[in-house]
Amino acid sequence: MRIRAPQDLVAGLALAAVAAFALWASRGLSQGRLAAMGPGMMPRATAVLVGLVGLLIAVNAFFTPGPRLERWSIRGPLFVCLALVAFAITIRSMGLVVAGPLVAVISSAASPETRIKEILIFGIAVTIFSIALFKYLLNLPIPVLVIPGVIVL
Amino acid sequence: MEGLVGNLALGFATALSWQNLGLAFIGCLVGTLVGVLPGVGPIATITMLLPITFGIDPVGALIMLAGIYYGAQYGGSTTAILVNIPGEVTAVVTTLDGHQMARQGRAGVALGVAALGSFFAGCVATLIIAGLARPLTHLALLFGPAEYFSLMVMGLAFAVVLARGPILKAIGMILLGVLLSTVGTDLDTGEERLTFGYDPLADGVDFAVLAMGIFGFAEVIRNLEYEKTRDVVMRTIGRVLPGWQDLRRSALPIVRGTFVGAALGILPGNGAVLGPFASYTLEKKLARDPSRFGRGAIEGVAGPESANNAGAQTSFIPLLTLGIPPNAVMALMVGAMTIHGIVPGPMVMTRNPTLFWGMIASMWIGNLMLLVINLPLIGVWVKFLTVPYRLMYPSILVFSCIGIYSVRNAPEDVVFTAAFALVGYALIKLGFEPAPLLLGYVLGRLMEENLRRALSIARGDLMSFVQRPVSAAMLAIALVVLAAAVLPAVRKGREEAFKEEP
Repeated sequence: MRIRAPQDLVAGLALAAVAAFALWASRGLSQGRLAAMGPGMMPRATAVLVGLVGLLIAVNAFFTPGPRLERWSIRGPLFVCLALVAFAITIRSMGLVVAGPLVAVISSAASPETRIKEILIFGIAVTIFSIALFKYLLNLPIPVLVIPGVIVL
Repeated sequence: MEGLVGNLALGFATALSWQNLGLAFIGCLVGTLVGVLPGVGPIATITMLLPITFGIDPVGALIMLAGIYYGAQYGGSTTAILVNIPGEVTAVVTTLDGHQMARQGRAGVALGVAALGSFFAGCVATLIIAGLARPLTHLALLFGPAEYFSLMVMGLAFAVVLARGPILKAIGMILLGVLLSTVGTDLDTGEERLTFGYDPLADGVDFAVLAMGIFGFAEVIRNLEYEKTRDVVMRTIGRVLPGWQDLRRSALPIVRGTFVGAALGILPGNGAVLGPFASYTLEKKLARDPSRFGRGAIEGVAGPESANNAGAQTSFIPLLTLGIPPNAVMALMVGAMTIHGIVPGPMVMTRNPTLFWGMIASMWIGNLMLLVINLPLIGVWVKFLTVPYRLMYPSILVFSCIGIYSVRNAPEDVVFTAAFALVGYALIKLGFEPAPLLLGYVLGRLMEENLRRALSIARGDLMSFVQRPVSAAMLAIALVVLAAAVLPAVRKGREEAFKEEP
């Protein structure tokens, strides 16, 4: 047996894995009857279907030719996600003044073309613009500057 | 007919207040502004801009959102023509001839004809919506849970067929979306499902969060990977107003595109996506010299752009009359309406006529605004395109973070988007199309609700879905559509319809 569509094989197996995980996670929910469906019926039924489709895709990968697996990069996803997490951590505890430039600088590491001075200035400019727009023009309750015990803006 | 005129008059009276006009204007302007950024489609744009509508009254907020939506659509066409990067699937066709025109120094005419065609399409679509709203709403009131369930199954069947790529993978995505929608508190028993005892998940995953992660951020990550030199055409935009010759050539394609797009847009299950492709194929078939297509034929811009806009607008019909969002953008609209305390569906028209007809009238106004804003401002949008991506994407991320955070003032939502960005990236790498997942997610909860209700009415008898004629008919259509899509002949045609090369 030769694998003709490596991408599909992985894709199908990934779906099946998600389905298996969902089945495991919904194990404690009651099934109910058709006339009075319990909370577990819909998740479990869908999970079974997802798993079946996944297996079909995987099996089909042995018969129908398809694309190979692409190269996955690490740098892009890593720094973009780090930037998002950094925003989530700092927005309440320090405010947008810190969170804004932090997102810009961390995420800029995802691109090989970044120039650090440029992105610093740009990040600060974007932050000032957002504060003016979201906080003062639109009155959204977004923390701008937080220094615990001293100031909450 | 008289009712229609009266209703439209009510609508225009609402939409023409200074405040609402201003909101429509700002909506179109910022919508275009964000939509013009390469790789930022309407979904990401609306998610990002959703918070700016929070402080406004419901009518104004929806008018502004509709403006943002049209602006984002048009912004996407601008990038398609000037940079050859479509903001979303529906702009793909525009890149074919639009970008060629731009390279021949006729970018202005391409943009102008796109705006004019969209305006015409918008006028017609507004009338179609106004005309169909009442009958369809009456129809919706006759629907029971069984009919609703079958209608959504039909919508998902259409979504499978209309998605790009292999059918099985599209089905997998839809089911995965439905599965995701079950996360959260069970409506009947209040029991938590698949939340792992983690509190922020108790309300389920917010749709804006899911859409932003899977569509917006995953796209940013992918663009970083394919960072190639952007082919921005900026030397000569040329004249914007098309000449007599151009107008004569584009008039009929605009009309045909409008009707093709409007008809497809009404379909539940994201029919609007197919509009531009169908229009392009049609124009190419009808053309005396098809070889001109792909080399800057103005018909290849005029038709699809009109179809695009008509579909974008008529896809409001299932949402406003049946309460069923036919695509991801409309699902965001549901979110926005819910924030303002409006439950979309057949009741909106009777309970809240000012809002309903005001929004329909504002669609027309929005289209007019686009024409007024975009033609003179094309030069400004072009300037935006010269900002290098290394500066653009960090700013997109900053604005998106603020947007996502503001939806619920929840920092953990931003972390969720990060997780979904990874999921979205994996989906792209594994050759999955994420759009059906979002639709499955949106319809999943509605489907479960109606399925449960229908089954408890029928005492668990599954046959009741087939015994009720309307429900049976819709299930039959779903089956036929799915079966047809698997047939070799149709499958080939479907692959051809979505082929990007001319």
